[in-house]
Amino acid sequence: MSDVNALPAAVRPPGLVGSPSFSDVVAEHLDAVYRYLVYLTGDRAAAEDLAAETFERAFRSWRRFDPRRGAPRTWLCRIAHSAAVDWFRAEARRQRREESYSRDDARLEESVFAEGLSPELERALRRLTPAEREVVALRVLLELDGPGAARVLGISSSACSTRLSRALKRLEQEMSDVLH
Amino acid sequence: MSSTDWNELDGYEALVSELRAAAPVAPDRLRERVLDGAPEFRRRMSRRRRLTLVVLPAAAALAVGAALVHGFVSTGSSRSSDAPALTAHAVTGGIHRALVHGRPATTTADAGKLTQQKGYAPTGTADENAFSDYRSAAMPASKSVTLGAARQALNIPTNRLVHAVASLQVRVKSRQELSAKTNEASQIVGSLGGYAQSVRYENSRSGYGEAVLDLRVPVQKAETAMGRLAGLGVLVSQEVSTQDLQTKLNHENSGIGSLQRAIAVYESALNSGTLSGSQRVIIQIRLNNARRQLSHLRHARTGTLASGATADISLLLTTRSQAIVAHHHHKEGRLGRLLGSAANFLGLEGIIVLYALIVLSPIVLIAALAWWIVRERRRREDRLLASA
Repeated sequence: MSDVNALPAAVRPPGLVGSPSFSDVVAEHLDAVYRYLVYLTGDRAAAEDLAAETFERAFRSWRRFDPRRGAPRTWLCRIAHSAAVDWFRAEARRQRREESYSRDDARLEESVFAEGLSPELERALRRLTPAEREVVALRVLLELDGPGAARVLGISSSACSTRLSRALKRLEQEMSDVLH
Repeated sequence: MSSTDWNELDGYEALVSELRAAAPVAPDRLRERVLDGAPEFRRRMSRRRRLTLVVLPAAAALAVGAALVHGFVSTGSSRSSDAPALTAHAVTGGIHRALVHGRPATTTADAGKLTQQKGYAPTGTADENAFSDYRSAAMPASKSVTLGAARQALNIPTNRLVHAVASLQVRVKSRQELSAKTNEASQIVGSLGGYAQSVRYENSRSGYGEAVLDLRVPVQKAETAMGRLAGLGVLVSQEVSTQDLQTKLNHENSGIGSLQRAIAVYESALNSGTLSGSQRVIIQIRLNNARRQLSHLRHARTGTLASGATADISLLLTTRSQAIVAHHHHKEGRLGRLLGSAANFLGLEGIIVLYALIVLSPIVLIAALAWWIVRERRRREDRLLASA
């Protein structure tokens, strides 16, 4: 891995002395963004590409980022959300074009979300919609607060809370279905 | 995470713990990709900027360099045009570059038209008021040149149909002489088979007199007429231009021939009696069109022939002592001419760039608008993201 401190000083937001450099932000939030995208897309390869794209976009607008106005993680998740939405649209177009899109069984069997998850939880997560997985990722994995997650999702805090509640309930239900 | 947030996860502790314990970790290759990508992106931006900074000055330097080279070449070639062997036959096989009293006539050539501009003779006798070719430029200003040399210098081509227009300014000694010379000019033209289309005679009390004569002479006699008219006094200035009409006449002749043949074909077809009713109508329409075009072309050819048959000479006889003031190019140094020529060329480049801009401006405008929209959209998105 390359040394993050070797990045040029220009990658610090201008006029903000003592604010984190872009490399610090990458080092701190790459895992979080990647997790979020894995849960959202359900595709590790796509999540990698989208994470790279997210940070490229973030770098482009890094000079305009003001950390006093929002946490870097929330900001990055917004960018990742936007990139993922574009990806879903492209995927939908691609599927329509190819007409017959079916997931490979072997691919379904492999662990997508994480190696350490129980197979039941893994399967249950697959059965959730991307929107449900997204809210789970934001609130549970990334530990964003309600308003932050709501901003990323572009919905109200109460809607976010409702979506999380439903997602967790459904996740539990799916797991019990798998067990029985 | 606040306590309120934790309340939302109450009852799902085991699930949450498992999800958090087995959270996916970004692979090292992704980390490298992201960290390597950022400076690379920055380099890409600066390269583009650097390219702009190099290309624009390079283009400007190229334009100035081209202008200087053009200036150098054109001023270099003007020396060779001074040579007698290159007395401006180039375009119409026509008029010699001439000058009067050491000043070269300026010659402009353009698409079959060649114009020879004024000579200038502030002093001298009638016989001295003549054209000479550029060889005479080396002569002292007081050196006399003959009338024959003037005729030779005009050299209106006789093997092609041309329309010649000339203007002469001749100074006469006095108002008394002006009247006699005006009559003499009409007589000269009449003796050569021409005529005076209009004569305006003005004799002022303040001491000067002028006569303006619009003369028409057969083009074959134009050189003789101009030589003799120049001999009426001191030639102050002379300007001759010719326009080649031969090509136009050839086109008209070939057009007339084609139309005549077509008319013959249409007429024979109509007389054959083998055509159906609708075919007859079509052929008749075509025949009428061809006849109309033939009539039009014949009329045009008559005009062309008439235009080429006579030369228009405008003669100004004046008693004014002041000659037309003309600046002396030959006094400028080589450097001055080079810079002047380079400046002209730069002006031409500017015109071309301006023309290109005018032609391309709608496309540029649309592209600029599209670029602005995209930029604004991106900025709005960035603002939105920054405010999150």
